[in-house]
Amino acid sequence: MKNQKTEYRYLMPAVVVVAIMTQVPFLLTIIFSTLRWNLSRPDLPRKFNGFANYLYFLKIDNLSQFPEFYSILWQTILITGITLLLCSVLGFLLALLLDHDIPGGNIARTLMLGPFFVMSTASGVIWKTTIFNTTFGWYGVIAKALGFTPVDLLSYHPLGVIIVLFTWQWMPFFILVLLAGLQGIPQDLVDSMRIDGVNWLQGIYKIKLPLIMNHMRVAVMLGLVFLIKEFGLILVTTAGGPGTRSYTLPYAVYMQVFSANNVGRAGALATMTVILTLILVNLLYRSIVKRSAQYS
Amino acid sequence: MTQKHIDQVKRSMYRRRIGKKSALTVIVYLIAFIYFFPILYMFLSGFKTEQQAVMPSLWFTPTLETYRKVLSDPTMYQYLRNSLFQVIAGTGVSMLLGVPAAFALVFGRLKHPNSNGKFYLWFITTILLPPVAVLIPLFTWFQQLNLINTPYGLMMAYIGFHTPIVVWMTHSFFSDLPGEIFEAAELDGCTRLQQLTRIAIPLARTGIFSAGLLVAVFIWNEFFLGFNLTGNPTATLPVYLARFREQQGMFVAQLSASSSIAILPAIILGWMTQKALVKGLTMGAVKG
Repeated sequence: MKNQKTEYRYLMPAVVVVAIMTQVPFLLTIIFSTLRWNLSRPDLPRKFNGFANYLYFLKIDNLSQFPEFYSILWQTILITGITLLLCSVLGFLLALLLDHDIPGGNIARTLMLGPFFVMSTASGVIWKTTIFNTTFGWYGVIAKALGFTPVDLLSYHPLGVIIVLFTWQWMPFFILVLLAGLQGIPQDLVDSMRIDGVNWLQGIYKIKLPLIMNHMRVAVMLGLVFLIKEFGLILVTTAGGPGTRSYTLPYAVYMQVFSANNVGRAGALATMTVILTLILVNLLYRSIVKRSAQYS
Repeated sequence: MTQKHIDQVKRSMYRRRIGKKSALTVIVYLIAFIYFFPILYMFLSGFKTEQQAVMPSLWFTPTLETYRKVLSDPTMYQYLRNSLFQVIAGTGVSMLLGVPAAFALVFGRLKHPNSNGKFYLWFITTILLPPVAVLIPLFTWFQQLNLINTPYGLMMAYIGFHTPIVVWMTHSFFSDLPGEIFEAAELDGCTRLQQLTRIAIPLARTGIFSAGLLVAVFIWNEFFLGFNLTGNPTATLPVYLARFREQQGMFVAQLSASSSIAILPAIILGWMTQKALVKGLTMGAVKG
């Protein structure tokens, strides 16, 4: 019993600090989302507004013209979804490649891991100026050398550019985790697979992939959680543009607070971002658990 | 089949294996090189003069002029200092809070037998919370308390967001330790504090150390809160890079040099953590 007090003394400081800095503000955000509160209009009183802020985004007046919220929601899902898909497919293939015994394979793996630790604003700025620039970047120079006219990818394919950069940044993490999974498959299983005459493709798709599904789950879930809140890279590459074509939910929240000064609406958007995160995490978790296998 | 034939077959099989292996090696190195190229090119461009950096090329005579220029810029120093403060203070306090909490969650006996798991789960779910969900209240608090122009507001936010990550990772490393050691230590009259500082931390030190390094990298790279919760005197390096174009203009060499300074520590620390990263992140999830 005397010890129990000590346990709580170890646990509680962390719980209190985390609660004050994350949970309390989140509850306040939910409360703000029901208020009419505009920072640029201090003359209007803050008052309870019910679900008006949510309805402002969600309400569909006529079916031919959907509110902007739906396209932002769709862009968020599209960016996150395609990035995760590319990361898991390409990451798995590269992990298979790195699973071979290659001289100096560690160096190759370490090089590929690099982009994961690069801050998103730096990678955005670097890609934008040294690669994607149509006159001074590698893309422009190579395209001209091959006889194409380089188009400004950032304004013609903003989502594509963002997806490529996110994939570049997150695939190393997938490679790392999936490679750990592949290396954890017992050697006798691989040997018996060979003896049973399983061909290369079957071996990968029917045996290795189900066996590392748990690792895949970890990688995809963490990727999802971190990608959905990504903000810096979008700000420095496309700044949400052209128009709102590369807005994501976090970016829209930022614009609502600092550009529209509308605390109530921003709160509603932020709350919906959290709900979206929870829904996607749940969906993914379920769909992946179905396909996993265990070795015993 | 004579011995000669067998030798021949063996040799050709060997050759095919070698051939396959060298082909694989070349492919892997090629992919790794292309993958790392943007970072590599950025490092190289930092050693160019502004005129050399305008057009992309890999052949040039390196110069330290650009680095000298970037490092003699007092604003760069200010951002660097702010970033260092956030990393050291944020990581330090997160560890001080998170490691004992993880210890209590793994080995402690809380009031209800389920409490340990519940608290652990609670920490994990806070990792799911995107920072946008807390931005508005934190921003209004910090403005009222005038914390925007001091580094302490942002530091508190970082502590709140990174303590759960410390708990999560150290939890998995503590779970590796056999519980009997602590029972034996308790019988020998070892207090809880001694069990933590003399037994648990030394035994799990590599894991704890890498958890700290990883959190340091996360804080060093964090942009959203750093961008929105700071004023000009307190902004961190990622904010500097994001504002580079509007403030300094399009100077590729300078941009490359300052990005290199911002990126290099994170990449090196990150490389040091890679093994523990996989273990700390996957263990809890892969088993459970």
